[in-house]
Amino acid sequence: MAELATDEILAARERYNQSIAIAVNKKRSLWFPYLVLALLLVLPALQLIGNFNYVIHLTLFTACYVVMASGWNILGGFTGYISLGHNVFFAIGGYFAGMIFARLDISTIIIAPLAGLVAAVIGYCIGLVTLRVRGPSFIISSLALVMIFRIVFENWEFIGGAAGLALPVNDLPVQWAKLPYYYAFIVMAAIAVWVSYKIKHSKFGLGLRAISKDEIKAESSGINTRLYKVLAFAVSAFFVGMAGAVWGEYLTYIRPNIFLIILISVNMVLMCVLGGKGTIAGPVIGAILIIAFNELFVATLGASEINVLATGLIMMLTLIFFPLGIVGTLAKHGKLPQFLNWD
Amino acid sequence: MTLLIQTLILGIALGGVYALMGSGLSLIFGVMRIVNLAHPSLIMIGAYVAYWPFRLSNIEPMFMLPVAAIILACIGAILYRLVFEREARSAKYSEMTVLLTFALAMVVEGMLGTAFTNTQRITSPDYATEAFFLADIFIPKGQLYASIISIIIISALALFLKYSRLGYAIRATTENREAAELLGVNVNRVGLISFAIGLALAGAAGALVSFIFSFFPSKHWEWIVILMSLVVLGGMGSILGTVIGAFLLSAVAALVGTYFGATWSTLTFFIALFVVLLVRPQGLFGEKPELA
Amino acid sequence: MSKLLEATGVVAGYGDGPAILNGADLSVHPGKVHCIIGPNGAGKSTLLKAIVGMLKVREGDVRYKGESLKGLRPDQILRKGICFVPQERALFPKMTVRENLRMGGYSITDDSYLNNRIGEIEEQFPILKERHSQHAGTLSGGQQQILSMARTMILKPEIVMLDEPSLGLAPKIVREVFEVMQIMAKEGITIILVEQNALMGLKYSDWGVVLDLGRSLFDGPAQEILEDPRIQELYLGGRKDKP
Repeated sequence: MAELATDEILAARERYNQSIAIAVNKKRSLWFPYLVLALLLVLPALQLIGNFNYVIHLTLFTACYVVMASGWNILGGFTGYISLGHNVFFAIGGYFAGMIFARLDISTIIIAPLAGLVAAVIGYCIGLVTLRVRGPSFIISSLALVMIFRIVFENWEFIGGAAGLALPVNDLPVQWAKLPYYYAFIVMAAIAVWVSYKIKHSKFGLGLRAISKDEIKAESSGINTRLYKVLAFAVSAFFVGMAGAVWGEYLTYIRPNIFLIILISVNMVLMCVLGGKGTIAGPVIGAILIIAFNELFVATLGASEINVLATGLIMMLTLIFFPLGIVGTLAKHGKLPQFLNWD
Repeated sequence: MTLLIQTLILGIALGGVYALMGSGLSLIFGVMRIVNLAHPSLIMIGAYVAYWPFRLSNIEPMFMLPVAAIILACIGAILYRLVFEREARSAKYSEMTVLLTFALAMVVEGMLGTAFTNTQRITSPDYATEAFFLADIFIPKGQLYASIISIIIISALALFLKYSRLGYAIRATTENREAAELLGVNVNRVGLISFAIGLALAGAAGALVSFIFSFFPSKHWEWIVILMSLVVLGGMGSILGTVIGAFLLSAVAALVGTYFGATWSTLTFFIALFVVLLVRPQGLFGEKPELA
Repeated sequence: MSKLLEATGVVAGYGDGPAILNGADLSVHPGKVHCIIGPNGAGKSTLLKAIVGMLKVREGDVRYKGESLKGLRPDQILRKGICFVPQERALFPKMTVRENLRMGGYSITDDSYLNNRIGEIEEQFPILKERHSQHAGTLSGGQQQILSMARTMILKPEIVMLDEPSLGLAPKIVREVFEVMQIMAKEGITIILVEQNALMGLKYSDWGVVLDLGRSLFDGPAQEILEDPRIQELYLGGRKDKP
């Protein structure tokens, strides 16, 4: 029998337990996102020296997806509830703001926060119901939600049915026509990222992450999981709804098959998965990569079927080989460059 | 009254096909705990396997049923080896596999769309447009044949599961994977076989669907919610439950279609799925909420 | 004493997670009842799972009759005569009691031999015969534990490993379960028992092993372990200030 004193064993047990805990990398850099934001704010100055409408459009488009993906990330990344039906809130925001714009001629940019709020309230109500189930059940219920909304929107004459509604076009010169939307999306994207960061580092965010790890344990340690989940759902719906609001006016029409196609929710999910679910920089990096990739694809190959194929393929490969996404995988191996560590 | 009976008969005649479409989904979930969102897109492959020989040289779609089943079984085995096997020990297994099958559905849709375009297709053997008459009531031959074949295939599957050694292994793995492994079942092999069988069922269903519904690659999104609704209603993983769920929902959808209009008929499935998931996620016949 | 099974320096853990076992040793003597005790999280269950191949042995070795078990799948290890009854009484709740017994003999391909064995086991445990057509999920906790232990006997295994068979059972039922274990031991089956209730476990055992900090700290005849003051203080509830 080994000769060990009892106190030694107790002390060793303490050390042993500590060795099992995983050390966290605390280094982060916040100057980088601020620098990017500053550059984006002065980017439209390019219009003074030539026609950069395409660059403006792509940046705006990316920013729109940054808003949506960051919003999705609050529910899907932090809380671990994967929704494949978040485009429902994109549609709600788009239609709410679009209808007011068409009837009362108030710009959607002004209405956007209200549209987001409407999406959040509807999200809260839907969440009260669907968040009672988890895992695959929740995912399937989110798919069913899109199908239900699609049928309802296509058959609701008041909002234009399947044909949708045309919205007025603004009367700015072509050179500057995109700018209001550009700044709206950049500001929304900045807010979405900032709010994600704030949430992640709040008590609320800690609760959400506990739910994602183990909901039952989270609940037994005193977290009101039901309230937390539903609030996370509402907040994420808020951002997606806001993006939808301005998107409709930018496109100059609202139509179910623009907002309620599965590809939109797939993109939100894929951006987060590719960039890194549950990280702050992940959705941003994912959005940039996926939009760039889509543009490249459409420009070279054209067909949307191939785009669907490629999107699916990227998603499968990411899930199989980098389930933690770019940021998550790099961080796990301690190789995340400091300028991408926004957490 | 005649209208009511007629509607019910039409609904029930479709129920068998829905049951076959859903049974593979249910089997795969039962054994592997994979919610195969790609199932309907794979059924679509089966439908194309039946479509082209018919279109090009008028070959009877039902003859292509075994061919479609075998092709899809092979696809299933390959997919399992390449994709799902390595996920077996993943911490977020169920979430990962749902996302994977979702991505797979897009890959299949994209491939079919690229190869065959999004044109609506349907095979039209003679019986697809003929019917038996009983007094005022008619039973479409195509749907009747398809349902009978479906029921035969599902019964064969049920007998295989109940009495064969492999069937024991599959059922045991369904109920308790770890325990089955400890009793000497090679659960990985059982997973591979069940996945292949599940997809063979999808292939067979595809051949039958080819003369019942018009199809095009992106239609599978609608089918997935329809299939999920009946599988969830019957209790995920229970094949008998799936069959009952299929007949029940198919009949209800037919009634809704007749009395409220065709648009709302599809909505029946979606709302049913929603309600079942929320009120009784374990389904009508499940004992504990397996999906939750 | 010769050793039937010997684990040396086993390092193992769950998935990519940290190592729970850090060089655990275990010597198993033929025909004896061994009890592994130790605090929560010491790696008792982990050790059993590593031996049967449910967890990967990262370092060290497990040798059975001189042959390494490292890298084998659970079904291959079972065929060598090592059975494992996990903590959560791994039954098939929607299959009948008899179907459960039949699954116990899954690796037997000779049907008539298997049916004979099922018959013999049912004679030995009348409660299982009485309830043969009932779903296993409807049995009481004690009966379920007896079924999952009896089920392993179909194969006439060399070693049976029991992971906390007393978990969640009333004291009276626990005794019944330990009596079943003694029946198994009398048939010459070597038993490795992991028990939270260390006093009770050691009383029914011949040999005791103390596992803590992911390593094996003590190893000796059960009686000696029961009487050792240090072990009483650390693991048998003698010292109250630390759990």
